[in-house]
Amino acid sequence: MTDRISLTPSRHLKKRYRAEKRFKAYCVGALVLAMAFLVLFFTDMIRQGYSAFYETQIRAEVTYNEDTLEFTMDSVSEEVFPLVSRAFFRSIPRQVENNPELMGTTQTQWLTAKADVDQYRKGHSESLDPEMKAPLEQLQADGDVGYGFNKGLFFSGDSKIPSNAGLWSAFVGTFYLMLVVLAISFPIGVATAIYLEEFAPDNRFTQAVEININNLAAVPSILFGLLGLAIFINFFGVPRSSALAGGLTLSLMTLPVIIISTRAALKAVPDNIRQGAQAVGASRWQTVRDHVLPLALPGILTGTIIGIAQAIGETAPLLLIGMIAYIPDAPGSLTDAATVLPAQIFTWAGMPERSYVSLTAAGILVLLSLLIVLNATAVILRNRFERRW
Amino acid sequence: MRTRDLTGDTAEMVRTPTTERPPVRQATKMQVNDLAVWYGETQALHGVSMDVLENEVTALIGPSGCGKSTFLRCLNRMNDLIQGVRIEGEVTFDGDNIYAPHVDVVELRAHIGMVFQKPNPFPKSIYENIAYAPKILGQVRKRTDMDELVEHSLKRAGLWDEVKDRLEMPGLSLSGGQQQRLCIARAIAVSPSVLLMDEPCSALDPVATATVEQLIDELKDNYTIVIVTHNLQQAARVAGYTAFFHLGDIVEFSDTDSLFTHPREKKTEDYITGRYG
Repeated sequence: MTDRISLTPSRHLKKRYRAEKRFKAYCVGALVLAMAFLVLFFTDMIRQGYSAFYETQIRAEVTYNEDTLEFTMDSVSEEVFPLVSRAFFRSIPRQVENNPELMGTTQTQWLTAKADVDQYRKGHSESLDPEMKAPLEQLQADGDVGYGFNKGLFFSGDSKIPSNAGLWSAFVGTFYLMLVVLAISFPIGVATAIYLEEFAPDNRFTQAVEININNLAAVPSILFGLLGLAIFINFFGVPRSSALAGGLTLSLMTLPVIIISTRAALKAVPDNIRQGAQAVGASRWQTVRDHVLPLALPGILTGTIIGIAQAIGETAPLLLIGMIAYIPDAPGSLTDAATVLPAQIFTWAGMPERSYVSLTAAGILVLLSLLIVLNATAVILRNRFERRW
Repeated sequence: MRTRDLTGDTAEMVRTPTTERPPVRQATKMQVNDLAVWYGETQALHGVSMDVLENEVTALIGPSGCGKSTFLRCLNRMNDLIQGVRIEGEVTFDGDNIYAPHVDVVELRAHIGMVFQKPNPFPKSIYENIAYAPKILGQVRKRTDMDELVEHSLKRAGLWDEVKDRLEMPGLSLSGGQQQRLCIARAIAVSPSVLLMDEPCSALDPVATATVEQLIDELKDNYTIVIVTHNLQQAARVAGYTAFFHLGDIVEFSDTDSLFTHPREKKTEDYITGRYG
């Protein structure tokens, strides 16, 4: 007689189950911790930044005539004047230029308030100059003070007047930078990867190139800034602080990312597709162009977008090539002085006024949203093309 | 009665013809002389010689790793794609050495088609799969001619009736057997004169295998076919001539009937009776 086999868990098995549970608990713990940091970061940014998306506005009658064009402070009443942002008065000549019909009229408008007033109303500062406090209370009682969407945050450039500071010039700079990076690193990176993966013989030279490219991806980004300064600005004479100089420098950084991801995408294409194409008389280039590249494209695009997203979030190399300057006006061309979103955030983070704290956080939120959109595009592209066959 | 003796033995050994056709004197389509292949340090083929007869099916059998696939891939220079391969000897195609310096591989492969072990249709539509090669080789320019060629090739491969209503569907949406026939249709679309098949049925079920075998039988009137197979019955069914490979050498090469019924070598007999391999 053999012993009856017992199907209830033995002591040894129970021990294995306990170990399994413990391991699972560690993993869940790690996940919870990571999520907690993320949530903490986001809530803090939103808490600090949300107030920069709206602004205090004051309803006032604005008079446009020959006198107020010259002495713009006379365009509003004496009580309102100390409360309104200086940026508004500076803009009066431009308003009239754009819209000549305004001349000789009086308009009721909601005007952006001074940063001091704004911060006081939002509860960020305790005290307000009595000169402003009295008229503010008066206007508040009349219902002429309210909140409105802060258009300036998106549509005006950087400014030393906090109520007028915005991200527009940084947007344009980032856009130009992205164009340069894309135009340079995409074709060069993809072509390099195709050569290395599909045509190059496997010898010492190509192995050395491969190792170097992989190392390049791990080089601290500030070194790329030094390289850009030495080569593009000092040697080739590209204008300092320009989107062109920044784009060229960041292209160096993006290139290895694109090369590595393109090679991985090409490697993932099954070899029998290549053999099938060559067996019917396709040349090597025809094989790559007609069969391998279409299959590898989603992977290549994903890698490129992630590389670009990395580049537009990069600040360190740009410090060295002067892209961290005060740039109130959006650049008109690739060679104009420009700033980019992360550099703008860096600049604002160093400003003393209370308004810039909210602006910094708002800038971070905008940059993060942009990066999330880019990465989501990469994921969507990949999923869409992968499903096709 | 065939008079050509492929093994160097006397004509008495040659069997009765496998087909009903009157015996004809067949031309040699490809001739392999003293072919030796190294992959790095390992020698895969030790100087083998063999003739491939025109409009005939030649089967290559033998245990795994015996060099039959290597041999096959030397016939259209697919081995050139492998890193560190070294090939010596001569392979002639209609009398020209295909390893001569003036020979262009891309041109050569348009004349010697290949069907692989695993069906490998292009990730494109059924139509595009067939039309691709004639298009890039500049054989067909007009759309109407192309439509005709696609239909003709699919009919030759016995696939037309199954796919004629969905030519725009991806080739990969077909079943395994259909995919393999699509690959055959793709290979014959450029009208090669030789068709190499590397275990074309190993990934197919018996029904699909029977279809492909029947197809091979029909195709041999127009093409010279060399087929590698692990399935001895398949070799017996489709091939007029069979070569038995072992450890990088051809042990025996003769017409299929005598190889299977009166093998001259002990090794061949052991293999076909299932004693080893």
